[in-house]
Amino acid sequence: MPSLHLDNVAKHFGGLKAVDEVTMEVRPGEITGLIGPNGAGKSTVVNMISGVLALTEGDITVDGVSLATDRADVVARKGVARTFQNIRLLPEATVLENVLIGFHRREEASILSQLLGLPSARRDTQRFEEKAWDLLRRFRMEDYAEYEAGNLAYGHQRRVEMMRAIAAEPDIVLLDEPVAGMNDVESDELATIFRELAESGMALLLIEHNVGFVTRLCKQVYVLDSGRMIASGSPETVTSDPQVIAAYIGTSGH
Amino acid sequence: MMQFYLAYQPIIDFFLLSVGFGYSQQIALRAGVFSIATAGFAALGSYCVAILATKTGIPIFLTVILGTALAAAVGGVLALPLARLRGAFQAIATLAFVQIILSLLLYGEGFTGGALGIVGIPREVNTWILLAVVAVTMYVLWNIGRSGMGRVFNALRQEESVASSLGVNIGKYHIIAFILSGALGGLFGGLQSLYTFQIEPHNYGFAFIVNILTVVILGGRTTLLGPIMGALIMALLPEIARPLAENRQAVNGVILILVITFLPNGVGDEIVFWFRRRKQARQQQKRASEKEARDAVSTS
Ligand SMILES: Nc1ncnc2c1ncn2[C@@H]1O[C@H](COP(=O)(O)OP(=O)(O)OP(=O)(O)O)[C@@H](O)[C@H]1O
Ligand SMILES: [Mg+2]
Repeated sequence: MPSLHLDNVAKHFGGLKAVDEVTMEVRPGEITGLIGPNGAGKSTVVNMISGVLALTEGDITVDGVSLATDRADVVARKGVARTFQNIRLLPEATVLENVLIGFHRREEASILSQLLGLPSARRDTQRFEEKAWDLLRRFRMEDYAEYEAGNLAYGHQRRVEMMRAIAAEPDIVLLDEPVAGMNDVESDELATIFRELAESGMALLLIEHNVGFVTRLCKQVYVLDSGRMIASGSPETVTSDPQVIAAYIGTSGH
Repeated sequence: MMQFYLAYQPIIDFFLLSVGFGYSQQIALRAGVFSIATAGFAALGSYCVAILATKTGIPIFLTVILGTALAAAVGGVLALPLARLRGAFQAIATLAFVQIILSLLLYGEGFTGGALGIVGIPREVNTWILLAVVAVTMYVLWNIGRSGMGRVFNALRQEESVASSLGVNIGKYHIIAFILSGALGGLFGGLQSLYTFQIEPHNYGFAFIVNILTVVILGGRTTLLGPIMGALIMALLPEIARPLAENRQAVNGVILILVITFLPNGVGDEIVFWFRRRKQARQQQKRASEKEARDAVSTS
């Protein structure tokens, strides 16, 4: 299973150094944490890895192969999936349909056989539907399969995003505040799923404001502040780091 | 029955052609492409067939295939310069495309007959042929709807960034949508010229664009039933509103505003959605009662 490396990565918006000189590793079979106060640059990191934003400097590699200049869809096809901090669903589509689109890169039928409705096209759809139902059961969403995604409660929308991201069994998953707005019971349920995914060999990058949640799940935690990596290491080292404490107290409310 | 058919044959044929053009328009909108190039594709198909049918001895059905292929190819090529445009900009660029096609037809007099167009096109197409082609078109569109391509189109229409985050090559699928829209526009344009005896550039001008957009907006942008309902309304309206014939445009306008206000998804889409929702409600009910039964068993 491959791991993800960021090597001296920077993103500047005009004069603003949203991310600067960031180096980190997201290893397979583990959950890696990325924390930092509001505006620290966490989502910008995710957007650079997933090909939404171009890098100003540095390189991003998966097993030595660079992703730095790839378009978002190319990154996804290389096995790097993500969720969005501001939930993005297909609002008119049902929960099941939202999950089904997640299988896109596993499609085998050619365009022509899809137009003609040949068995290969039907097999794809059937295969994906079976797997989608497995996911729905795993996330305890099977009762909502036929609901329009746009009408779901917040916590359920987050789950739909998760299911969609992991449907095609990516190697690396970037989770941008996946439990934001959930209650403790809900976020514990998801924590269990995150652990299972890591145990199955995936590399997870978890962005989260709740430091307790991150320290419980992650082996390795990176701390960003104003675009710069101010600390990294085990949860214990990071949370006792004076710079980290200062950053969190400095912005208050965390 | 026969009498009914004879009396209403022109309306039925007009309806079937509108359905075909409606599908050409719809497949683009469905994929999130705000193209109004259908008029240009229809003109290409129509002129290609008319020229080949009047000036060469090529078998008629081959002229239709060539017209379809030409419009499909032009559609695919058109997608390239438009790749970065969205929404209103796409609409305007495709409108410019239609105008380019129309002016080529006007100025290519030696070939296209200029403003007078082409006359004496063999009348090879009848209601049954139109019906058969519409049926085949619907079958293909039905397949698309049930395949990965349909899922991608739906995703692109609703949230492009999600589609690309899941590996969808947006450019590729926009090209496919343009090719399909071009093929359908060219196909029904070709059939139209084999039906009307005479064609001129004017047939594919502003009125055509508005009519076809109206078919899809009245009927619906996403379901197979959409263009059928839209075309049905457009075909029947002049009959129903015959006493108001002088105000036909006004009546059309009022109906369009009413539908957009009260049935924003279009008549056909709303009907399909209604059935879908009813089915979903039933399935949910069924699951709930199954669960209750299970719970009752496990607690007893
Ligand atoms: N497209 C953009 N153009 C200009 N500035 C941007 C852009 N995207 C982000 N920024 C800026 O970059 C900085 C980092 O933003 P980012 O969204 O990455 O922070 P974050 O750590 O995810 O914060 P939060 O915890 O609030 O989600 C912020 O100052 C933000 O205003
Ligand atoms: Mg963020």
